[in-house]
Amino acid sequence: MFKLYIKIALRYLFKHKLYSFINIFGLTLGISVALTILIFVRYESSFDAFHKKAARTFRVVQHNQLPNETLYWNTTAYPLAEALRNDFPDISTVTQIAGPVNRVFKITDNFANKNLFEEPQVLFADTYYAETFDMEWLAGDERTALKETASVVLTEKLAKRYFGLSEANYQDALGKTILLQSKDPLTVTGVVKNPKGNSDHQYNMLIPYEFFKINNAYFSSNWSGNYQGTTYVVLNDALQKTGFESKIAAWKKKYLNEQDNKRISYFLQPLEEIHNETRYGSSPGGYVMPKNVLTMATVVAVFIFLIAVINFINLVTAQSYARSKEVGIRKVMGGSRKSLVFQFVLENAFVIGLAAALSILVIKAAITMLNSHLAIIDLQLVLRPVHFIYVLLAAVIAVVLAAIYPAVVLAAYQPIRALKNTFNTGKQGKGIHLRKSLVTFQFVIVQMFVIAAIILAFQLDRFKNGELGFQKDTVVITKSPNSEKTQVYKEKLLAETGISKISVGSGPPMAVNGVQFGTNYRLPEQAPEESLDAEMKIADADYLEFFNLELLAGRNFSKNKEAFDEFIVNETFLKSYGWTPADALGKQIQINEGVATIIGVVKDFHNNSLQYDITPCILLNWKYYLDNTFIKLGDSNYSALGTVQRHWEETYTTGIYDYQFLDDAIAKEYTVENMIFTGFSVFSILVVLIGCLGLLGLMSFIIARRRKEIGIRKVLGASLTQNIGLFSQEYFRLVILSFVIAVPFVYYVAHSWLESFSYPIQPSFWMFLMGGLFTLTIALITCSFQSLRAARANPIKALAEE
Amino acid sequence: MLLQLKNIFKWVNSGGQRIFLLKDINLDVEEGEFISIMGPSGSGKSTLLNVIGMLDGFNEGEYQFLDESVHHLKEKYRSNLYKEYIGFVFQSYHLLDDLTVRENLEMPLLYKKFKAAERKAMVADMLDRFQIVGKKDLFPAQLSGGQQQLVGVARALISNPKLILADEPTGNLNSQQSEEIMQLFKKLNEQDGVTIIQVTHSEKNAAYGSRIINLLDGRKV
Ligand SMILES: Nc1ncnc2c1ncn2[C@@H]1O[C@H](COP(=O)(O)OP(=O)(O)OP(=O)(O)O)[C@@H](O)[C@H]1O
Ligand SMILES: [Mg+2]
Repeated sequence: MFKLYIKIALRYLFKHKLYSFINIFGLTLGISVALTILIFVRYESSFDAFHKKAARTFRVVQHNQLPNETLYWNTTAYPLAEALRNDFPDISTVTQIAGPVNRVFKITDNFANKNLFEEPQVLFADTYYAETFDMEWLAGDERTALKETASVVLTEKLAKRYFGLSEANYQDALGKTILLQSKDPLTVTGVVKNPKGNSDHQYNMLIPYEFFKINNAYFSSNWSGNYQGTTYVVLNDALQKTGFESKIAAWKKKYLNEQDNKRISYFLQPLEEIHNETRYGSSPGGYVMPKNVLTMATVVAVFIFLIAVINFINLVTAQSYARSKEVGIRKVMGGSRKSLVFQFVLENAFVIGLAAALSILVIKAAITMLNSHLAIIDLQLVLRPVHFIYVLLAAVIAVVLAAIYPAVVLAAYQPIRALKNTFNTGKQGKGIHLRKSLVTFQFVIVQMFVIAAIILAFQLDRFKNGELGFQKDTVVITKSPNSEKTQVYKEKLLAETGISKISVGSGPPMAVNGVQFGTNYRLPEQAPEESLDAEMKIADADYLEFFNLELLAGRNFSKNKEAFDEFIVNETFLKSYGWTPADALGKQIQINEGVATIIGVVKDFHNNSLQYDITPCILLNWKYYLDNTFIKLGDSNYSALGTVQRHWEETYTTGIYDYQFLDDAIAKEYTVENMIFTGFSVFSILVVLIGCLGLLGLMSFIIARRRKEIGIRKVLGASLTQNIGLFSQEYFRLVILSFVIAVPFVYYVAHSWLESFSYPIQPSFWMFLMGGLFTLTIALITCSFQSLRAARANPIKALAEE
Repeated sequence: MLLQLKNIFKWVNSGGQRIFLLKDINLDVEEGEFISIMGPSGSGKSTLLNVIGMLDGFNEGEYQFLDESVHHLKEKYRSNLYKEYIGFVFQSYHLLDDLTVRENLEMPLLYKKFKAAERKAMVADMLDRFQIVGKKDLFPAQLSGGQQQLVGVARALISNPKLILADEPTGNLNSQQSEEIMQLFKKLNEQDGVTIIQVTHSEKNAAYGSRIINLLDGRKV
């Protein structure tokens, strides 16, 4: 009987190809998209949970209380780790890392060739690191590998790249030497597997923390200031967290100076929360996937799945008209209601199963695509057995929601009524209200997606094309590894015809690549506790002119000095004292690095990307940190790039040349927003597609049911458009209704999202209207497609059928 | 006695009015009878047949079928009763379009829980008896009207019912096809002792039966 039902189901699917296609394709799409999102969400919420001690591992974070705000730092002073270890011997483990940083290595390969490699992810880690975080050792001894100062542990990737090794012979790497920055020899003491994708601890190699300490004696022993050490503690029991926090609170004064002790407090952040918590940010080298983005993604997944399931319900119930006769016959022939429910559930479950099986293939493809095409994130999603259970679960949910109800309804038909097809004759069939509400619900979701995508597009456009207050086009940035040679480099470049202007500084006007120097400022007569937070930029005398920054008062720098003595501040800076630009001139300001006089005030420019406010900014004429050279290419004369490289390599001789266009660097600041937008656009398209598929299927059923009516109307003289209107109208109205319902929802969500930005666009009514019209047009086209076919058909044929 | 209807009334309420479809019907049917029901269109013939077939209920009166009081039975027993003893033949055949001739014949057996081997034998026997072996893998749409009705009758007979109810079985057929079906009924009735109640508009078809019941406005005349 089972086999027979499947056979009939298959025959039915083949016979009604459009119906089958829509049902299977729509559901496959729904399940695939929803589950791909869920796999992504699960991946992003599982970061660093795989470490054996994860549940009792914490990152030490620091709250920095300023007069007007609290700063949240995920790094601490470097000496903290050792002090904790010494003073609290009862904590299980304390580990300290520095970096990851960018370093250049000289490697002599097996054929005695010397090669230079730039490694962006060099992590300094102490011997406790391997106890805290799980690594898979392919060669070397994990207990001793990081003991000797001049040693290095390579990842598999580097062992391959440097020495051409493979699984069989990683042992051969041990004892080999690599040269750090072409001068410090490091001996390979271990090879580990590449870090897992779902970890914020991304490194290419590990160098003992001791090495960093020796080479950065000042930082690594200094308790004040913001230095980039990350400290982790492993407690014996996660429950000790609060107790330990209060112990540290009482203890820290032993090391911190009086002012810092007042300002700084330490807290423990559970390792497994780090990746999804925006307050502290990720550890260096990692990234944060905010919890609310994941929640949003889950909601999106559920919605997409629901839309697909609704399609299924709509089509299956609509289809029951066509099958009411079958129900009648089967009942008269002795079929019980139970056996009919069983048959229809089985048929639908079969279709759902088919879709589920197909979706496994689609998910696999989608995952592969995501892994290779996602811009900022290096995803390493894999299809695991547990994901098959997801698919199964989705299928079961689909069966419960979409197969059982229609089957029960269908099987309940009274045999003689079913045989007479009385359901068919009425204009409104049974279940029409259910279908109408479901379609409305679907289109509410569809329009929410479409409108959200439109609003996002406008916000993104604001980010990309908004006025920044400085000149960013055709500016190339190169690094200056040796400041003594920068003057020569500059002169060589200026002699070229394709290059019009040059400036050097610590960074461009808008902080890019995550680099921004912070400092505290106050008037010399104020107490240190009254210091406020500002950005500082080191710039040369050409900087203002180069970037078109407008002086509102005062003058430009004269010259960069060993001890800086001049400040140029922005308008926002003035607000902290309520000064006018003229007031500010001549005022002395104390910053962490020294005292100087304000000699100029510039008009505000966006020193932070557009999600954030403009913050107080101090430009100073220091000789140090002039790390970047800004080169203005004669408009779009990109051929000068080759010349730049030649001069760079000839001037600096060591290191690896690298360059970046300023506008590219700025665009990168919006990668997350860009990704959200891309996600929404793709999902909108999919949702529109699934929604319209459903509409298409529904229309084809309605029209099949009313072919005779169309025939009669046509014979009586109704025109084509009148006939199309007859069928489209009904669903047209639903789309408009759903628009009305969707608008307040989207407005609320969009508003609260945009509010998190400092320069949000104002979602205006016509953006909503655009979304509504778009959906309406698509829906209209979908409806007309079927109606047109029916309306064009020869009426005699339709009438003759009965 | 096979069945007995006593003072059967059936009505529907429409717009506050009670419309009678059957009025005070009394009918005794013995096993082996061949009865024709006649009457003008709308007189209640189909309604009566459906009541006898237990596909439809009635509002007043008593109905005995093989000594069971149908009016007292629960829906489930009632359907078990007709499943076991009654076969239906319809004017518009009502074959399942998605099933082949063989599968259409097999379908009632599935619901009666026959084993696969038994089903196969019974279907083969029917195909033989109706000389439609060559058509067994065709779909209804590939058959002529007469052939379809042949399959319809075969399907009604396959589980050996005591009673066949046929609502205008030849209504869609030409005279030669009608003739064949009526001959078949006659043979079934005479040789196999199957009780037949048919609705017909044709005097000629009615003449095949042993008794004619005339209806007018839901009342026996
Ligand atoms: N559910 C119902 N509601 C209201 N009236 C009904 C219903 N079912 C049948 N009727 C009416 O009952 C009467 C008898 O119908 P029935 O189908 O039994 O007629 P019939 O004798 O079989 O006619 P025909 O020869 O045309 O098939 C008709 O007038 C019909 O309109
Ligand atoms: Mg009738």
